[in-house]
Amino acid sequence: MVLPILLTMGGLVFYPLLSTAWDSLHRVNPMQAGTPFVGISNYTRVFSDVEVGQAWLNTFKYVVIAVFAETVLGVLAASLINQLKSGRQWVLAAVVLPWALPGVVSGVIWQWIYSPGPGLLNGLLVMIGLDYEGHLWFNDSTSAMLAVSVVHIWRMLPLTIVIVLAAMQSIPGDLYEAARMDGASRLVMFRNITLPLTRGAIAVAMTNATVSAFNLFDEAIVLARNSLETRPILLQIYLEAFKKLNFSYGMALSLMVTFISLAISLGYVLRIHRSTRLD
Amino acid sequence: MKEPWHIRLGIWAGIALLLAWSLLPIYWTLASSLTPTVEFNARPLHLFPEHPTGEHYLRLLGVLDGHMGGVDVAGEFRLALFNSILTSGAATVLCVLMSLLAAYAFARLNFFGREVLFYAVVGTMAVPGYAVLIPLFRLMVSLRQIDAYLGVTLIYVSAFLPLCLWLLKGVMDTLPRSLEEAARIDGASHMRILFSIIAPIAAPGLTAAAILTFLGAWGQYVVPLVFSPKDTKPLTVLIPEFAGKNFVDYGLIMAGGSIAIAVPCLLVIFLNRYLISGLLAGSTK
Repeated sequence: MVLPILLTMGGLVFYPLLSTAWDSLHRVNPMQAGTPFVGISNYTRVFSDVEVGQAWLNTFKYVVIAVFAETVLGVLAASLINQLKSGRQWVLAAVVLPWALPGVVSGVIWQWIYSPGPGLLNGLLVMIGLDYEGHLWFNDSTSAMLAVSVVHIWRMLPLTIVIVLAAMQSIPGDLYEAARMDGASRLVMFRNITLPLTRGAIAVAMTNATVSAFNLFDEAIVLARNSLETRPILLQIYLEAFKKLNFSYGMALSLMVTFISLAISLGYVLRIHRSTRLD
Repeated sequence: MKEPWHIRLGIWAGIALLLAWSLLPIYWTLASSLTPTVEFNARPLHLFPEHPTGEHYLRLLGVLDGHMGGVDVAGEFRLALFNSILTSGAATVLCVLMSLLAAYAFARLNFFGREVLFYAVVGTMAVPGYAVLIPLFRLMVSLRQIDAYLGVTLIYVSAFLPLCLWLLKGVMDTLPRSLEEAARIDGASHMRILFSIIAPIAAPGLTAAAILTFLGAWGQYVVPLVFSPKDTKPLTVLIPEFAGKNFVDYGLIMAGGSIAIAVPCLLVIFLNRYLISGLLAGSTK
């Protein structure tokens, strides 16, 4: 009964994983004959690669922007939805929708929204009297990075909301009742009851947000093609491996990214573990 | 206790803003897909299409002439739609079936290495897909499975198996064993117990696993970009290609986008409860 799953996982995950590790120590390139052993030179090359450096910097920026925005807006949105007494399911369904859509299709939709001539964004800004007629959002790197981040946040915010909202719903109502008797204001209740009791969930949501911002790819490739200014590290790996056909260098890069992403998740997990034990 | 009016107003304003942020881009896709091409540049902006038309859809589906710039856009679109449905559907069925079998075995049977194997499979959730993409490509080249339905479907299955296994094992751990024991005494086989007793009770969990797998496979981009370059190309690869061609206009792209997002939208609207439970189980691993 476990045989199908083991064969699939073995053949399509564990074997490739091992071969990634092995091949990253060789020179594997279909355009060059042979696969000589090159030691760790694929790894050391990463540190002198200017494009990789830029892509890392971009990914780092995406992570900071996305995790910050998703956490703040997600907690805010979850507490708003938590106040609703009826129609909560419908609001939640509407809010979850962006997460369920294919990332590239969302990218194409937002490309149309950002487009300078007929785009919705410029149209709305002009409507409220601002001079954004024909404004180009992808002309300088800051606004291009932000435009890509907005699409990513649009897609991933629902996950934070769902996780934090579930934690908020499990807080017993008596706690708020008691606090209200003592004359506590809404802000005080939020800070002294809601926040401490949802801290674990917020940490889980932040882990998810970090990992997904790390894996940002679809939005960037659709909105800004291969532009180095907005290129995240995964796009760098993709170009290196499947456009330049430097397979082994791509493998070394992807292993490094995997380890860093695992280390970050592990860091969060350990922190949650510690904080819940103290409680 | 009644809330003061200004707080209720604030909550409703916040909810309205949240709904607008979530739904406006989707609404705009739909509205654009119904707007005639000549009206795209109209200013001031029309939030509602003034002369709604189904022309984009008719051309995309080949009812009207779907050739543009010498390319059979309608034919490509229909093929991609078929490919998306086929690969996502097949991956969902295979993935749920395989993880159901394995979850039963991991939850109910005793065999050597049970714990280790379970955590080895589930642990791969933490391994990002790109870490295995390049060797998979070389493997699929040597197996002649590039641009073949089987290859790309199996890759989807391997990507979503750990999550489904985790979900279904969790469901089975909570089911009481008393039901099966009666059947066992009557001499029912494991397969019979699994499919006629456990599967019906575990239906909500199976639904959640199926939705997550289907949505995940439906939205895949990098995998088909590498493994399905031509004949098995799904919508997610075709639609961005449209955006890069100047002879395909945005009305057509938005009509294609609307069709590509209609399937996930329907799933979210009708099966939201299962989706949310699956998301929570998957994210708090």
